[in-house]
Amino acid sequence: MKLSMTQAQRKVRTKNLWVLTSLVILIVIVFMISMNTGYIKLSPLEVVRTLFGLGTAQQALVLFDFRLPRIVLSILVGMGLAVSGCVLQGVTRNALADPGILGINAGAGLVVMLFISFFPSTTDTPVFMLPILAFTGAGATAAIIYVLSYKRHEGISPIRLLLTGIAVAAGISSATIILTLRLSPENYQFVATWLAGSIWGSNWKFVLSLLPWLIVLLLFVYLKANVLNVLNLGDLTAIGLGASIEKERRILLAAAVGLAGASVSVSGGIGFVGLVGPHLARQLVGARHQVLIPTAALTGALLVLVADTIGRWILQPSEIPAGIVVAIIGAPYFLYLLSRLQD
Amino acid sequence: MFNSKKVLASFLALFILLAGCSAKKETSKEVEIDVATEERTLTDAMGHEVTIPANPERVIASYLEDNLVALGITPVAQWTVNNGASIQAYLQEELKDIPTIPYDLPFEVVTSFAPDLLIMSGAEAVEGSTYEQYSKIAPTYVLEVENNSDWRGKLLKVGEVFDKTEEAEKVLAAYDEKAKETKTFIQESIGEESAAAIWLVNNNFFIVGDNVSSGAVLYEDLGLTMPNVVKEISSTATGNWSSISLEKLAELDADHLFLINSDKGNGAEMLKDPVWKDIPAVKNGNIYEFEAETAWLYSGPIANSQIIDDVIESLTK
Amino acid sequence: MVASSELSAPKRSRPIRAIIVLFGGMLALLLAIGLSISFGAADIQLATVWTAVFSFNPDVTAHQIIREIRLPRVLGAAMVGACFAVAGALMQGMTRNPLADSGLLGINAGAAFMLAICFALWPSLPYLYVILFSFLGAGLGAGIVYGVGSMSRGGLTPMRLVLAGAAVSALLGALSEGVALYFRIGQDLAFWYAGGVSGTKWIHLQVMSPWLLAAMIGAVILSRSITLLSLGEEVSIGLGQRTKTIKVVGMVIVLILAGAAVSVVGAVGFVGLVVPHLTRFLVGHDYRWIIPCSIVLGSLLVVLADLGARMINPPYETPIGALIALIGVPFFLYLARKGGKEI
Repeated sequence: MKLSMTQAQRKVRTKNLWVLTSLVILIVIVFMISMNTGYIKLSPLEVVRTLFGLGTAQQALVLFDFRLPRIVLSILVGMGLAVSGCVLQGVTRNALADPGILGINAGAGLVVMLFISFFPSTTDTPVFMLPILAFTGAGATAAIIYVLSYKRHEGISPIRLLLTGIAVAAGISSATIILTLRLSPENYQFVATWLAGSIWGSNWKFVLSLLPWLIVLLLFVYLKANVLNVLNLGDLTAIGLGASIEKERRILLAAAVGLAGASVSVSGGIGFVGLVGPHLARQLVGARHQVLIPTAALTGALLVLVADTIGRWILQPSEIPAGIVVAIIGAPYFLYLLSRLQD
Repeated sequence: MFNSKKVLASFLALFILLAGCSAKKETSKEVEIDVATEERTLTDAMGHEVTIPANPERVIASYLEDNLVALGITPVAQWTVNNGASIQAYLQEELKDIPTIPYDLPFEVVTSFAPDLLIMSGAEAVEGSTYEQYSKIAPTYVLEVENNSDWRGKLLKVGEVFDKTEEAEKVLAAYDEKAKETKTFIQESIGEESAAAIWLVNNNFFIVGDNVSSGAVLYEDLGLTMPNVVKEISSTATGNWSSISLEKLAELDADHLFLINSDKGNGAEMLKDPVWKDIPAVKNGNIYEFEAETAWLYSGPIANSQIIDDVIESLTK
Repeated sequence: MVASSELSAPKRSRPIRAIIVLFGGMLALLLAIGLSISFGAADIQLATVWTAVFSFNPDVTAHQIIREIRLPRVLGAAMVGACFAVAGALMQGMTRNPLADSGLLGINAGAAFMLAICFALWPSLPYLYVILFSFLGAGLGAGIVYGVGSMSRGGLTPMRLVLAGAAVSALLGALSEGVALYFRIGQDLAFWYAGGVSGTKWIHLQVMSPWLLAAMIGAVILSRSITLLSLGEEVSIGLGQRTKTIKVVGMVIVLILAGAAVSVVGAVGFVGLVVPHLTRFLVGHDYRWIIPCSIVLGSLLVVLADLGARMINPPYETPIGALIALIGVPFFLYLARKGGKEI
């Protein structure tokens, strides 16, 4: 009996390992395709040569300074948003939670946008300020949504939370439109692209400003995987198991908001990643957060990377913002999940 | 024999060294003997130290082409929006075979031209810390004048970058001379009558500000009388062209109207509107239509000079 | 006794109040229309408005302005408001869904999407045909939302429909943006998407009017059946109503109204949510009164919003969609908080 248990466990473990490895391989493949996608034509061989330092100066410039930072940012943003969604879904026990749908991204966007329009790019400080600003906006929005959807005796019902989020997002984007009309045409153009969700800050500075936040928050969330498992069992069980749930829940929510805010500060309004990533991951590896979190991170990274590559490729040399591509993939998936959700 | 070669080489080395030093120490304003044969270092509008190559040959200066052409410089690529659908048609005599580059200057497209000097028309062109990446492609000079409508300042700055300040001043002098003659001519032919330039695009009207683009030519250089509506709108304008509703246009008391029509292709429904037909200048037939490809929407020594030609032609008709 | 009669009061119809609301509303609407006509870039006295309408003189510029610019604009705003409001009232009555609104349920986004395609492929198509595309798009949006909703395991709950509507709107919005980017009609579409009646011409009103008239008459004829339907499907069937037919006819009317309105003003939401609720609160639950009163109050709301849109930041116009959303969002939040139970 005991032997078969461990055998089953081992089987699960091997399967999970396979899933993770395949995801990494897929990301590497898309990474290579993405490296080959662009105005300047490079053969795969040239890309590989350049990666090993054997290319011409121009090839190195194109790959290392133009394409690579953008690809790295897509991967980071995808990870951040997917894990944020994963935590939100776990904490609120709401299968449809996603920072984009809940309006957290919109809140982060409003603050970032206001800042950028008032302090144009004459100095370099804004880049490093962005994640902090986005976090402020995201946090404030999350707090508003939480308060508005909380009802005494009933707590927060999943659907009311979503409805509140959708409404708050609609309100914030209306406010954004009204505010941006006062901007100059150049700034307006910028804000419009930003809202559509384009990986706009495609250089290493943005990678550097995003990386520390992501590393710290992702690690933190990963270490809390067990808490998420417990929270997922439901409040009563959680209290029974002795987790001081309210506190843990708030800390994790803050982490999720931070992840979403930091990601959105460089990517603009990309929605649905936090929904699609964790759901696909759950189908692949189940609900244990120790495996679910890394799988969701990889799935999210893959999704944004694919979306950005498609967006850059379809209308060359113009681009379709990744957010639009993700919405076209993600919205039908949301509808599918919605049709399977039971109240 | 080999000795003299060595001596020559060391002379050359010394010369280059000296040249480099002098260029670094002295500003470009100094009077040069052999013009622009050495590398020079300039400080651009954003405070970057930019090393301008000795003889820049592959220049990209998007939306500053007018100035380049005026100074006899040919860029490797020219400004466009909508992937070549819209270009500065009025410069095409000089830029006919020059390939286009999208106005937002995608890194890779810029790289593909292998430029040796980039001139950016304003800080917003390098928004989001992209300066660093552009400057890896080629030395990048961000050109900005205090007042965006100051085309004279722009021309002088471009002249400075290419060490052609003298030429730039000559171009300006020639322009001012032409403007002065035309001013006299206008005063003789229409006197104090007023004029305005309006632009029709996508069924919306825009009107030019009093001291920008073609407005600067009409009112500042040619001394045409400014209608009250233009005064009023210019006082709150944020761009060169301000949106103006048809009903505000109905108040436009200008005696002469220069209409830039970008809607020719799709019927220009607005021009059939009874309110439009009721505007005094339209009623009296004092309306002069130009296509969107003409110089009217741009500004610069060549654009402005062509606008003057258009004005003379219209008013002598 | 007093308490019980108070409780049952909202369920009854209130003809006297309804007549007061109807005539008071009309008076207010006339006043608002007069104000709106006299307010604009050119200063025009109310007296001039009067003479321009009743003794038109083509040689007076002010008369021309009123005739050709302001009158069609304000009438367009009134018609659009009536359309959205009646569409919302019908949907709320037929589906007993307090959150029903053509904007929230993806119908407006569908119409806007088809219009985007129409603008891209046939930019100079006469408005006579454009409006047909708008109807088609409205049907598309409604079809997807109800399709997803009815496939759902939990059935067509109000909140689920709103979520499906939000996802469909996101999807169709992203597709519209993609179309706009591909065909480079972006600038044109952006303002229109947020909504504005500034470009309304007589031709729009001419084309719209017959559709509108037919739909409004249809709505009034249906109103008794809708009242019964709003009491519940069983009650309605018990009273001998052919509920299927009523629903189909009602839905066609909704699509015509929403499609026509979107083709003039763009995807403006929340009018159809706010106005019927307000009307119900004022005149009770009889749709024979709700529909006429919604026509008047809906017109009033959009005429006032349009006036506000011009006054906020002159000479520029603020999109009225954003303005109305700022009123609609808190209202929506309030309804969502009540749990969407009461109608």
